[in-house]
Amino acid sequence: MTIMTTVQAINDALGVKMAEDKSVYLLGEDIGWMGGDFGVTRGLYDEFGGERVRDTPLSEAAIIGAAVGSAMVGMRPVAEIMFADFLTECYDQLVNNAAKMHYMFDGQFRAPIVVRAACGGGFGGGPHHSQQAEGWFMNVPGMVMVAPTNPYDTKGMLIASIEDDNPILFLEHKALYGKKMEVPEGKYTVPLRKAKVAREGKDVTIVTAMKNVYDALAAAEKAAAEDISVEVIDLRTIRPWDRETVLNSIRKTGRAIVVTESPKTGGLAADLSAVISEEAFGDLKAPVARVCGLDTPIPFSLPLEKVILPDENKVLAAIKAQMKG
Amino acid sequence: MSDLTPERYLAMYRDMHRIRKFETALELEFKRGNVPGMLHTGLGQEATQVAIAHTLRTVDGLFPDHRCHGLLFLKGTPGKLIMAELFGKATGICSGKGGSLHSADATVNNFGDNSIEGSFMVTALGVALGWKMQGEDRLVAVMVGDGTSGRGEWHESMNLASVWKAPVLYCCVNNGYAISTAVGFSHATENLVDFATGYKIPAEQVDGNDLPAAFAATQRAAEHIRSGKGPYFLEYKTWRWQGLFKGEFRPPEEVQYWKVEHEPIKLAREDLLQREWASEDALDQIAQEVDEEIEGWVKFAMESPSPDPNKATANVYAGWEDVQP
Repeated sequence: MTIMTTVQAINDALGVKMAEDKSVYLLGEDIGWMGGDFGVTRGLYDEFGGERVRDTPLSEAAIIGAAVGSAMVGMRPVAEIMFADFLTECYDQLVNNAAKMHYMFDGQFRAPIVVRAACGGGFGGGPHHSQQAEGWFMNVPGMVMVAPTNPYDTKGMLIASIEDDNPILFLEHKALYGKKMEVPEGKYTVPLRKAKVAREGKDVTIVTAMKNVYDALAAAEKAAAEDISVEVIDLRTIRPWDRETVLNSIRKTGRAIVVTESPKTGGLAADLSAVISEEAFGDLKAPVARVCGLDTPIPFSLPLEKVILPDENKVLAAIKAQMKG
Repeated sequence: MSDLTPERYLAMYRDMHRIRKFETALELEFKRGNVPGMLHTGLGQEATQVAIAHTLRTVDGLFPDHRCHGLLFLKGTPGKLIMAELFGKATGICSGKGGSLHSADATVNNFGDNSIEGSFMVTALGVALGWKMQGEDRLVAVMVGDGTSGRGEWHESMNLASVWKAPVLYCCVNNGYAISTAVGFSHATENLVDFATGYKIPAEQVDGNDLPAAFAATQRAAEHIRSGKGPYFLEYKTWRWQGLFKGEFRPPEEVQYWKVEHEPIKLAREDLLQREWASEDALDQIAQEVDEEIEGWVKFAMESPSPDPNKATANVYAGWEDVQP
């Protein structure tokens, strides 16, 4: 066991898979000798060379297209899109090509690519370096989104993602890059499509992902002081999300709050809320509550950004409101 | 490099007729309501497609575009499976999920059309990159139109193919119009080779209706790529018979030139007779044999069953049969 940050855990997962499997290679902007904007690929260029750690121009469509094409003939590319905001530049490649590949050719071709992207706000990144991208891909059949919250899950789920045969968007929240914990050396996997109960409770369930898991845990701790027992579910895989774990929890507690950093309208929170209402209506003691980013772009100035994004206080307020319901 | 032998020329002449007959029969069935969706034919562009088909080996890759029904079967897929796919039948090469705009056949390295025009130029780059990294001696031909040169992927693909020396054969079928818009009206040049030159990709322009010329140019291009020198760009100047849904919109003298005077099958026939490589009777015989062959494919498609509705949700994900859409 070694203490690792999330950044180191991603780097370690990439190194483990590249050493084990020659078909695994990396491509993206400034990921080579520089090691990436966030230092995630540091050292891999020296270890594996420029053929397998490929610096590209600012051509996001070509990054994803090259990844998909090479995956069709047996490679296992891991592409880096520097900021999730830039996924719009390769949206067509992901939506119309990667995600539909297996279906439209009726299983003849697969697109086993992993696309890593740094997402999330809270640091003054402004409108084009702060966004969550999952809402843009929620209604894209065939697309898979994985978003772990700690170094251990991140390493295990990245290895599992590289080994999976589907196109996977691997979302890395910037606020979590510095999280530290003990991580085993060598290869291990953490299964995709399985949510995790991050905190057990009996009064209300919070379903969330990424940085908001920590907001929910902090709010749960404060709520505990007022004798409210909160269960927190860390989705880990956002699409398709783990209905069994989520619905079992809500059937137990009878109250549901969904929390996402992305805008409220039409995204993950909307889907969670709709499915919970459809499937567990009879068990609910109160309507499902949503704590989400507001329906605005993300402003630059920190006091403005704070108005827009959810935080532990907004989650705590929702917990108290639920208990009155 | 293959020479233009009498055997080769006669085989290519036969294949031009097969495309002509295939598209004519398809148009008729479309008008009769037996072919759903939209129809784009390769009528008038037979020489270009045949020149490419006779240059590619089975191990080489092909990304066909929406006017490439002929190339689909010339690549090696049984023609009746292509016809059935265009009819949306269960026996189609993609089980009816792809249709005219998305027909792939992994067994002959046909990677399928992607009808977001030009989008797959970066996918082709990826296949070429993958094969290059694997040490495979294969090239990838990607079919694009003049209108495609407006797409960002065109430029991203050509730039990176040049940088990576990727074995991509860019086959630009310049038929003069993107739907209704003339090339020169919406592009900085009417000669699309100009773009390739900017990316330092060897390029040439050829009369796409002159079969021997188109074949020789395609052979030169393939030889360049197979010697490890990287991509090559060919611009085939040709013309499509199909007008717009509202009818013919092009000047009568232009129609007369391309559809009568400079029509590719007529040119090849005159050339074969002049070379004394075939008799009038032998050439008539070829046309007649082809008619019977294609009628058989139409009959197969007409008599094939429609897909099982239970298959509509199959193959969204690769290897995740438990996820029910």
